[in-house]
Amino acid sequence: MVFSDPILLGCLLTVFLPLSAFALIMIFTRDNPKLSLAISLVAATIPLIIAWTFFFKLGGRAPIIYNFDWMVSDLVKVPFGFLLDPTSLVMFVIVATISWLVQVYSIGYMAGDPGFGRYYADLSLFALAMLTLVISSGLLQLYIAWELVGLASYLLIGFWYEKFSASEAGKKAFVVTRFGDIGFFMGLVFLVIFYGSLDIATVNSAAVANSMPPWLITTSGLLIFCGVMGKSAQFPLHVWLPDAMEGPTPVSALLHSATMVAAGVFLMTRIFPFFAASATTMTVILAISTLTLILSSTIALAATDIKQVWAYSTVSQLGFMAMGLAAAALASGTLFAGYYHLTTHAAFKALLFLCSGVFIHHFGTNDFFTMATQGGRKLVIPMACITIAALALAGIFPFAGFFSKELILTALAHLDNKLWLVLGLFGAFLTAYYSFRVIFVMLFPKSPEAYSKVPGHIAHVEDEAHGHGAHGHADDAHGHGHDEHHGVPWVMIFPLLVLASFTLILGFCQDYLEKLLLGASHPHAMNYFLLVAAVGCALSGIALAWLDWGRKDAKCVGFISRFPALQTFFIQKWYMDHFWRWFLNRFIYGIFSKWFTYNDRRVVDGGVDAVAFSTVGSGRLLSFIQTAFLQYNLLFMVVVLAGVGIYLMMGR
Amino acid sequence: MVVPVQYYLALSVALFALGVIGVLIRRNALVIYMCIEMMLNAVNLAFIGFADYFKAVDGQMFVFFVLTVAAAEVAVGLALIVAIFRNRGDVYVDNLNILKW
Repeated sequence: MVFSDPILLGCLLTVFLPLSAFALIMIFTRDNPKLSLAISLVAATIPLIIAWTFFFKLGGRAPIIYNFDWMVSDLVKVPFGFLLDPTSLVMFVIVATISWLVQVYSIGYMAGDPGFGRYYADLSLFALAMLTLVISSGLLQLYIAWELVGLASYLLIGFWYEKFSASEAGKKAFVVTRFGDIGFFMGLVFLVIFYGSLDIATVNSAAVANSMPPWLITTSGLLIFCGVMGKSAQFPLHVWLPDAMEGPTPVSALLHSATMVAAGVFLMTRIFPFFAASATTMTVILAISTLTLILSSTIALAATDIKQVWAYSTVSQLGFMAMGLAAAALASGTLFAGYYHLTTHAAFKALLFLCSGVFIHHFGTNDFFTMATQGGRKLVIPMACITIAALALAGIFPFAGFFSKELILTALAHLDNKLWLVLGLFGAFLTAYYSFRVIFVMLFPKSPEAYSKVPGHIAHVEDEAHGHGAHGHADDAHGHGHDEHHGVPWVMIFPLLVLASFTLILGFCQDYLEKLLLGASHPHAMNYFLLVAAVGCALSGIALAWLDWGRKDAKCVGFISRFPALQTFFIQKWYMDHFWRWFLNRFIYGIFSKWFTYNDRRVVDGGVDAVAFSTVGSGRLLSFIQTAFLQYNLLFMVVVLAGVGIYLMMGR
Repeated sequence: MVVPVQYYLALSVALFALGVIGVLIRRNALVIYMCIEMMLNAVNLAFIGFADYFKAVDGQMFVFFVLTVAAAEVAVGLALIVAIFRNRGDVYVDNLNILKW
């Protein structure tokens, strides 16, 4: 049956190849980098081919569903299977492609790392989990894959686990996302109890509204959104994503910008009709995602670590996608705007990270001011690619981001309350500013002294120590000593070029994708005011960045330094880490842990001890009647037997 | 000549009671053992009596089983008693008190 059906075979291969690659590498070939790499690449290439074949062959067709019963009970049937519809196919292609590109890129980036084999095993694990998540047919299966990507994320963030900050960051990511996933799981339980099915196709049907009262739909929608908040780093659970940058840069590109963190937004599109059934849910989502957009954009404009900038940019763009989805739902639009932005964002944000990876690899530092003063712009191809990606991020025609941002802003413009649109435009302005702050600093470096006043930037002399302290692994692993300015290997350049071409092409695939996703392409009434406003915001952001950082006699402090209080506020990341630390100490450790410890010591341990002591004590007491005199026992036995016999006879 | 079943049963009960009393009051393991055999034989006798009374062979069949089991039991039990004797020098149950904790 499996072999006669190429589609099912493809799905199974997609899931089981990375799984077996993970197992093979972990068990057998971990110490052999070349063999591990070969296994992992094979297990990434075949899903890539399958993904693109499916995309072109099945794109326009009706959804294909394979369901196998996994758990069956009276009330609930939990299927395990695959759902191939346009929504999953697009994400399937994104994940398979970027996963493959990152694996190729990592050949160069991770070369010589002692954990090379383990790295590829973890990447395979991630591919397994993420691909399962994308094509799963039921929400429970999706949830399992969701947790598995969390595990892969934990393993990869803490990949350099000798570094304390890396293992701490992995732990933080795991715990924070889990915090959201509790909500997600409760939402699923609500669905099972009150609706009785977790099948995505049925959850999306109109039957939900008939069998669940509105307040229940709102509650379970909000609970499921908790999972989205954790995974897609929405306020207030966004704090793990910037820390996740402790992982290797290709990992940040794959997991923490393009695919895994987009899983939350993907979930929203996956069950979009269900979410859209409750206006309250969507309003809450809109508010949270708008807050996230503004918060993370403002933090990004004060960061000095290039990966931090892109990390907060990812947070803000995820917020932007969620805004697009929520606004579309509220104005009875379609999921296309948000999903399209997810697609383009995956391309250009992965590109941004991979380019940054080239610089980090080359200069052994994360501080882009240091990169700039050490001649970052001499790496021509990465510099060109990062500029393209930043243009796309800022939303400049004709790069992909321009089209998708335009769509989201249009969706926002359809809302009655124009405040959302204004905030969205403000976010676009900030995005353009912070991305071009990086680009202008890198393109037009000033003398190192010019950057000495930048808060957070550590001046040149200490930089070496800083680089060694924070990224000593890179130096050890890549052996910078023998060749200070080694060329960038082609395996790292090739993915950049592919992603850059995607960034250029994707914008013009809008109609094609819309037709694929929605079945029909709607002619867009051009809103010229909006067009001008969006491009104006982006351009003014870039212009301000030019004034602050680019031009010859730029002050290089940023406009935000005019407001010292605000600047400190942004540098301290809105004090969100402080808040969570305080929250943990005050409530989790101070109240819950204390009482749970007390409960554990007194009730649980005490109960177990009491059972043990009472058993021993009663044994001691009863041992007094044991005389070791055989015939007393026998007498007792005879008397009891006689008694039982008499009782039975009387009973008759 | 027909012996009434009551006679069989009375003898059987008497033998059984003697066996029980013997098991409970004698101190020599070998005698206790013989008393157990007496109890088994009392049961056999009751089986025979009932077989005669009901004119069915089931009771006689059971007697054969009981005899077989008793023979096997004797083999094991005597071996144990001999082993205990070799080990301890006597077979008085009063002295077998090392099970006391």
